[in-house]
Amino acid sequence: MISKLLASIRKEYLLLVRDRIGLSILFIMPMVLIFVMTLIQDAAFKSLNEKGIPIVFVNNDRDTLGNMIEKGLRTNSLCTFYDSINGKPATSESARKAIADGKFLIGIIVPPDATAAIRKNVTALINKTLNVDSPENKNSITGPDSVEIEILIDPVTKKSFITSITSNLREFISEIKTKIMFETFSQQIAELIPDKYSSPKNAFAQTQIITYKEIYASKSETIIPNAVQHNVPAWTIFAMFFIAIPLCGSIMKEKSEGSAFRLHTMPGSYLLLTMGKLIVYILVCLVQFLLMLSVGLYFLPMLGLPTLVLGNSFLGIAILTLATAFAATGYGIMVGTLASTEQQGAIMGSLSILLLSALGGIWVPTYVMPEAMRSISSFSPLNWSLDGYYNLFLRGYGVKDILVDAAKLISFFIATMAIASLVNRAKRNV
Amino acid sequence: MNEPAIIEIKDLTKKFKNAADASVKGISLSIRQHEIFGLLGPNGAGKTTTISILCGLFPPTGGTVLIDGKDLRKDISHIKEIVGIVPQDIALYPSLTAKENLDFYGHMYGLKGSYLKDKINLWLEKLGLSNAGDRRISGFSGGMKRRVNLIAGILHQPRILFLDEPTVGVDVQSRNIIIDYLKELNREGTTIIYTSHHLEEAENFCTRVSIIDHGKILTEGSPASLIADYPGSASLENVFLHLTNRKPRDQ
Repeated sequence: MISKLLASIRKEYLLLVRDRIGLSILFIMPMVLIFVMTLIQDAAFKSLNEKGIPIVFVNNDRDTLGNMIEKGLRTNSLCTFYDSINGKPATSESARKAIADGKFLIGIIVPPDATAAIRKNVTALINKTLNVDSPENKNSITGPDSVEIEILIDPVTKKSFITSITSNLREFISEIKTKIMFETFSQQIAELIPDKYSSPKNAFAQTQIITYKEIYASKSETIIPNAVQHNVPAWTIFAMFFIAIPLCGSIMKEKSEGSAFRLHTMPGSYLLLTMGKLIVYILVCLVQFLLMLSVGLYFLPMLGLPTLVLGNSFLGIAILTLATAFAATGYGIMVGTLASTEQQGAIMGSLSILLLSALGGIWVPTYVMPEAMRSISSFSPLNWSLDGYYNLFLRGYGVKDILVDAAKLISFFIATMAIASLVNRAKRNV
Repeated sequence: MNEPAIIEIKDLTKKFKNAADASVKGISLSIRQHEIFGLLGPNGAGKTTTISILCGLFPPTGGTVLIDGKDLRKDISHIKEIVGIVPQDIALYPSLTAKENLDFYGHMYGLKGSYLKDKINLWLEKLGLSNAGDRRISGFSGGMKRRVNLIAGILHQPRILFLDEPTVGVDVQSRNIIIDYLKELNREGTTIIYTSHHLEEAENFCTRVSIIDHGKILTEGSPASLIADYPGSASLENVFLHLTNRKPRDQ
């Protein structure tokens, strides 16, 4: 049994290394694809139509600042506003968790008593400026960072989206801040100085009362989302699934060259033949993965792009990559069994991979897809794999966080092999 | 010829799904051990279908087949171990060398190590291919491919060997080499079931033949007895044409 399996593996290996076109499809083309797509998408991200980004808002202030931001976000065309999660009002904790889980791309938390703090600081500033000397005034100015609005960001969010939203938000909050300051200022001035022409309004306008802190909902603080972080795993998965075409070609050649006929008449050899193919092509997927990683780690930085950051869990990467390799190989064997001719297999394989990759968020991120398409995308095995790599590379998660995706991919592999086996049996039962 | 039967076929039928008519219609045959049995017939007569069923490639629609006393439907794994097949089309990997092909198929039949290596070298030498063993099949002539195709089917010394047009498209020299070594194999105990369009070759090679057409057996016997049974026939080809008529079948 082992000797038969080894002979089958050796045969597959020899067939593969002697097929130069097949090798180029497996290794060179995906590497070129990563280069090209990363460079193209890096530029394209900057000009994407950034509409409808889902934002969760937590208004702990319940006063002017919080209410005005809420009003502004509700009417802003850049985002889709949510103030509840799973039917319950959003809290700081639930918002942080929802962002970390990838349910929303951006979260904004306005702290409690933010408006009151601004008013207090403005009053104190005015009093200080006007030299109203009281112990209360001396203690009330707590410094320029007295109100901190938290902006939570999912690491999978494109950098250009974040920039759009945060700059829009900054501008908007700045207006609110000025409005509050002037209202408070006017009240104070009216009480203290009847001569309003001597008010020091320019000093208040320059004061940084509200500050922002961007927090990436990641376990690793060093990971910064960028085109490389998105494109390297995405196109690596695409390349791994693209082995369906040479694998299907190998199965079809075996049929057309007559070897399959002979193998079907040998004791137990067809199962071994499939296992031989499976092992060789899983190894091919793993080599592909290493090559694509090397592109992200060493070659893309040479072109001025950021270096790929792998996250914290190498075991997680290994498990997810192996599960993806199994799923991709199973899919190739299924297509090769379903197809009746080499040409049919090539068309069926390439079109279905393109469709699954488009649905899976390889070409366009799933969060910019319409709701209906987003629901469909969760059925694509490429999406399961991509989601797993996002968890590892961008969110800095560990093994337990990719187990569901890995289990889905392995289940997909089992399903494809079962279908291939049934179809093979049905085709022989002519 | 008192050898026991190694293949017993009774009322064998095969109708492919979606086919209008059955390809094999109630064939009954008894093939004895150490025979060289010829299954002759025009294109579409049902020869390849019959051989494919006997090899376990697809199941029959009806009838029973016993090979070495085992039921084809129940003991296919045992049957696959004792049979060898040399298909009509070349069943080799073109990008592998002759030795790599034979090594792979040898392993699939359970052979390994130096025994397999020696067998490969022996048969390559016997069939005049010892200098071509390390060359890729894609660069071989038709005759050389046929010879390697033959070796792939006999490496494991099968008790029953199915030959489907083993000499089609080869030159006279290669054909003679193949036939000589098949005879040698038969002398060593292998039962051969053979199909061919070369009726002269069949007349000289087979100990017994069966002429089939439209999925049915028309006649059966040794070449000499058949020639004698049909007055005016000087050869097996005359008998064949007499039974199957002269009109081409694959128009």
